[in-house]
Amino acid sequence: MKQQQQHLKLQAWVDGELPDGEARRLAALVAEDTAAQALVSELRALQAAMRGSEMTRAVPDSREFYWSKIQRQIEREARQAPGAAAAAPLSWLRLWQRIALPLAAVAAAACVALVAVKPAPPRAVASPGDEIMATSEAMDTMTYHDQSTGLTIVWLQDKNAAAPADATSIQDDNSIDTD
Amino acid sequence: MPSLRPLFLLCLPFWLALSASAADLTLEAHLIWASNESSDPRYLPAPADLSGKLHQIYKWNTYFEITNQIRSVPAKESRDFRMSDKCVLKIKNLGDSRIEVNCIGQGKQVSKGVHTVTPGQWVVLAGNAKNNTAWFISLRPVDASLATNRQ
Repeated sequence: MKQQQQHLKLQAWVDGELPDGEARRLAALVAEDTAAQALVSELRALQAAMRGSEMTRAVPDSREFYWSKIQRQIEREARQAPGAAAAAPLSWLRLWQRIALPLAAVAAAACVALVAVKPAPPRAVASPGDEIMATSEAMDTMTYHDQSTGLTIVWLQDKNAAAPADATSIQDDNSIDTD
Repeated sequence: MPSLRPLFLLCLPFWLALSASAADLTLEAHLIWASNESSDPRYLPAPADLSGKLHQIYKWNTYFEITNQIRSVPAKESRDFRMSDKCVLKIKNLGDSRIEVNCIGQGKQVSKGVHTVTPGQWVVLAGNAKNNTAWFISLRPVDASLATNRQ
């Protein structure tokens, strides 16, 4: 740590950044210490190399005038920015986004509500949705639901057969041949 | 290029709602022949769960299965279930688990009706047949993976 501080001081001495008293002390140290001498000569060589190869940039104006131009540009843009944003008309894309996004949210909420309140499909217990719309002229129908078995039965009965649809009194008709 | 995300968000709920209500319906159908004979070499016994239910209501000794089919009926479309040479069911999927069943016997309309089908519940069309026998056509919705869609 101490050595690092000493190196930094030597670098500052080489760059001529130290006050006179400190510079004299460092000069005495370098005269006695061979390691410090080596470091100083290395730093000076590096300094010379950098100075020789540094690109020079010529500014057409004086430094103060060049900076004043930059400063004026910054101030001009700062003045225009809030006003310009407020005065600019809404682009159609921004307008569309402003309208469509709330609409989409409302539509989504409406659909969720619709699904939430949608009544469950009717169970076949009472079979309220069951209806016979048409039969052949020769047929009668009787629909009933048996809750214990879960069967909804539409019995098709030949009008000419007097007996009810019961296994104990089946008549010989032939409404649908299973063969 | 305008962003389409708002339009997509706007349409998504409607699309989801439509797709939910317009689902395919897979139906299992059996043509059953009820007889007082204890056996018939031509036919196999009807499925035990279905014949058990019929036994609780009717007094025939035996329920034979003539044919069975499992088919999928797309929403708003109609499919023919050919149950025998002389019996065809034209079933239309009306959506929301409702079906229109048009029963055709020997080329003539026997009945036409609208029914609500619920898993585990049977809708049965039935009628008398020759020699103190009867026929039953039973329908119920089943899982779509069972569909064979064969005629």
